[in-house]
Amino acid sequence: MAEYKLLLEHSDDTAYRTLDGYRKKGGYKALEKAVKMERQAIIDEVKASGLRGRGGAGFPTWIKWNGLPKEKVGKKHYVVCNADEGEPGTFKDKQLMEETPFLLVEGMTIAGFATQGDAGFIYIRGEFIDAAKALRAAIDEAYAAGLLGKNILGSGRDFDLYIHMGAGSYECGEESALMSSLMGERGMPRLKFPHAPLPTISGLWDSPTLINNVETYTCVPFIVNKGGEWYQTLGAATKNSRGTKIFSVSGHVNKPGNYEIEFGTTLNELLEMSGGMKGGKLKACVPGGSSVPIIDAEMCGRAVLGYEEMSDVKSMVGSGGCMFLNEHTCIVSFIWRTAMFYAQESCGKCTPCREGTKWMLQIMERIVAGNGQPGDKELLLEVCSQIDGRSFCGLGDAAAWPVAAAIRVFPEEFDYFIANGKSMVKSSKDLMLVP
Amino acid sequence: MSDFLQLGSPNERPRAPRLDELDLKFSDQALAELDELYSHYPDKKSCILPGLWIAQREYGGYLNGEAIAEVAYHLKRSYAEVEGVATFYSMYNTVHAVGKHMIEVCTCLSCQVCGAYPVAEYLKKKLGVGFGETTEDGVFTLHEVECLNACDRAPVLQVGSSYHGPVDEKSIDALLENLRAQEESTVIQMANDIVKVQTGPLKSK
Ligand code: FES
Repeated sequence: MAEYKLLLEHSDDTAYRTLDGYRKKGGYKALEKAVKMERQAIIDEVKASGLRGRGGAGFPTWIKWNGLPKEKVGKKHYVVCNADEGEPGTFKDKQLMEETPFLLVEGMTIAGFATQGDAGFIYIRGEFIDAAKALRAAIDEAYAAGLLGKNILGSGRDFDLYIHMGAGSYECGEESALMSSLMGERGMPRLKFPHAPLPTISGLWDSPTLINNVETYTCVPFIVNKGGEWYQTLGAATKNSRGTKIFSVSGHVNKPGNYEIEFGTTLNELLEMSGGMKGGKLKACVPGGSSVPIIDAEMCGRAVLGYEEMSDVKSMVGSGGCMFLNEHTCIVSFIWRTAMFYAQESCGKCTPCREGTKWMLQIMERIVAGNGQPGDKELLLEVCSQIDGRSFCGLGDAAAWPVAAAIRVFPEEFDYFIANGKSMVKSSKDLMLVP
Repeated sequence: MSDFLQLGSPNERPRAPRLDELDLKFSDQALAELDELYSHYPDKKSCILPGLWIAQREYGGYLNGEAIAEVAYHLKRSYAEVEGVATFYSMYNTVHAVGKHMIEVCTCLSCQVCGAYPVAEYLKKKLGVGFGETTEDGVFTLHEVECLNACDRAPVLQVGSSYHGPVDEKSIDALLENLRAQEESTVIQMANDIVKVQTGPLKSK
């Protein structure tokens, strides 16, 4: 299959970033429609579309929307957008915010209507200043045109939208940590369901809160406009993945960038779209951001992009950050850097993750320094198994998976590095910090 | 041993000023911005992050003890609470003062495989500093950062509010030259940008 541009259709058109240009291309038709719809009808439309969360977990979106109390019990309802894109290899939310800011604003406003939201917060990672500026301009224009604020489009309903900037923490991409951060705390995760109420019941400031990813909200105007029935025909070839998904392709390819595809497209087709491999044959691919298991060239050949389909090659769609690596890449050094990332970003709340990620890094460090000991590979696997499933939030699992997968898929590279004190791939020097 | 394990050694922690030492520095503009921010959230505690951004701008790019104390004072929170928040996030400069321009080089995965380490080495040599250090003239601070999420432009640098990539030795030379000629500090500019996008147009003005 070829590229399928739904969200990104007008992304090169700079006029689309202004209210006028956005409206000319059909913008705000969806909100006008939503204003006249029953709240439940909007949620049902999202349900019919089969939309699943685009942040990484792929949770059905409508369940969250449906989870907020239908009758307000004195508390405000909040709509939050997770724009703390931090997963290494992913840059789709950045482009969406910079080039199609109104899609996000409109999508969140509709979400606010469907869930009786009083206010929305877009939590943007601190580094994304261009994205934040684009959104600021969009929000200001929307306010001036009566599309945000009081009595939107004469519906008698109000919705405010605010931007909240992060300050450099990967952990804040985790939804409960993001909410902590929004409430002025360290970005650490909170106890989750079933040990604590769902955010849809008690989230921000103990109020019902809806939280979705940028890409998820930007799909909403299309779903409301053209109907859930229509949306779910996209990706119908897959088991349970509907619509389009943006993959951020980077690494050793000729044309890195964001590519929007219909679910069911193969990984090979994605590679072709991005101009094919650069500097050597395909060796491995991390298909969905640094947390997902790495796969080798043979698996790449049969990988189909879909939430369920990717498990056939023991990997995941994740956030859609697809890194292709050529034959001159030393997987051990690559995994060393992955371990460094997680050790750096662990928030320190729970022991398995805080200590485990540091242990993994230390073992990886001594391997790449040429001082690997026999048994290090097994030791790494042991540490991985102690973190996976035992950490407080998903970051721990996400730190363990790539290491365990790399050892499973490329065991000989680890063996060679440990036995010989150097990489079996020639160019690995460049991948490391030369001491 | 990785050096980040030693971050935040007790000697480097900014000291909490006593109440009688407090010398409030926030400008009128900053106070107006704080007022605007209060209206976004149901409580003042939620303004700690945006408040720290304001302080980072008002105090010249570095959150020392006074800066943290002032945020705590305005928001009516304890010093320890605000300090705890400030030191958690990597973009608040709490560990040491920084130069006029902060060069943040991404060495994370996509950048790593596209040659970020040679780029980082070049920068170190050219500036004569290591990661986390500031040049003697106080102009540049070099930092190694995790994925900036612009991997299509790997290897990427961030300086203030702007991204630069893909970079090579030549473009780095030109970039440094430009920055040297620039009067304004990109660190302060960035903090200002971050405050502005959150407050939007101030209603009081
Ligand atoms: S890895 Fe450098 S920007 Fe993503």
